[in-house]
Amino acid sequence: MSDELKLVDAAKGGSVEAFTELVRGYREGLFRFLLTRCSNHADAEDALQDTLINAYRYIGSYNPQWRFSTWLYRIAIRNAGRLRSDNFAELGDPAADGGDPLAHCLAESERDNLWRSAKRILSDEVFAAMWLRYVEDMSVRDIASVLERSSSWTKVNLLRGRRALELELNGTAGNAGSEAYG
Amino acid sequence: MDKLANRLREDASHIDAEISAQLDSRIRASLAAVGPPAARRRKSKRRPAWFWLASSLTGIVAALALIAVLNVIDVDEPAAVPRTVDGNTVPPIGVIDLDVRAAMLTDPLARELADLQADLKKAEELVRGDVRIDF
Repeated sequence: MSDELKLVDAAKGGSVEAFTELVRGYREGLFRFLLTRCSNHADAEDALQDTLINAYRYIGSYNPQWRFSTWLYRIAIRNAGRLRSDNFAELGDPAADGGDPLAHCLAESERDNLWRSAKRILSDEVFAAMWLRYVEDMSVRDIASVLERSSSWTKVNLLRGRRALELELNGTAGNAGSEAYG
Repeated sequence: MDKLANRLREDASHIDAEISAQLDSRIRASLAAVGPPAARRRKSKRRPAWFWLASSLTGIVAALALIAVLNVIDVDEPAAVPRTVDGNTVPPIGVIDLDVRAAMLTDPLARELADLQADLKKAEELVRGDVRIDF
């Protein structure tokens, strides 16, 4: 049995320490991902906290046939989506605040970060698929599971996202932003 | 790995995602407050596949048994009548004749029928008198 599965079993038994140890390696990546999904830094922090609490609360339902990160990201996407819809209901369009957390988390020299372009030209789901593929190294099957989409949809949209970003990278984006990706 | 994948990975690493000590302690406190997950887990109420078959068979057997019992019981047996009450001898109560009672219930209808027939006969005679036609 791997160390991760041992920690999962211990966490299922109610050990907070084991759970904390289990998620230690995922927290930063998860937070980075949530920063790209949420409308501001505080929301990303709340989403991270909610994700970890929900993961601990429902760890009994975790099936080890899936990677732990797949399960964790699925919870994170749901939490980020819920936070965003709550904010939208209460405050109107949160993007109108100019509260893009990515802008605050990048140094001045990093303003041409490709993920900012990705956020601008790709739909939320395609952006998430690209992130999970190229940053988290997830398989198409895992990405499809996280996004609750088919493998075919995932493959097609990864390809579309890639093409759009390649155009952006080569400085010939043209009308790429106007296309309906995803 | 291709150029785009490298660039995406590299750019993602430039996003500052350091978890502050404050957030860390907030998360720890929240996790401690949640309580053990095992205690919160509900027991599965899923029943085995044979449960439905067994319950159906039990229901059918119970229904058959009830039908059999109702058919075996002799419902024509009259209830026993005590011969004495407080030491005094009382005559036995006879069984009510249901046929007689049923005939009595049809009496008013028979009388109504006879009245209607009489009305019809009178009406027939009146018509004969008026038109003087012999049927």
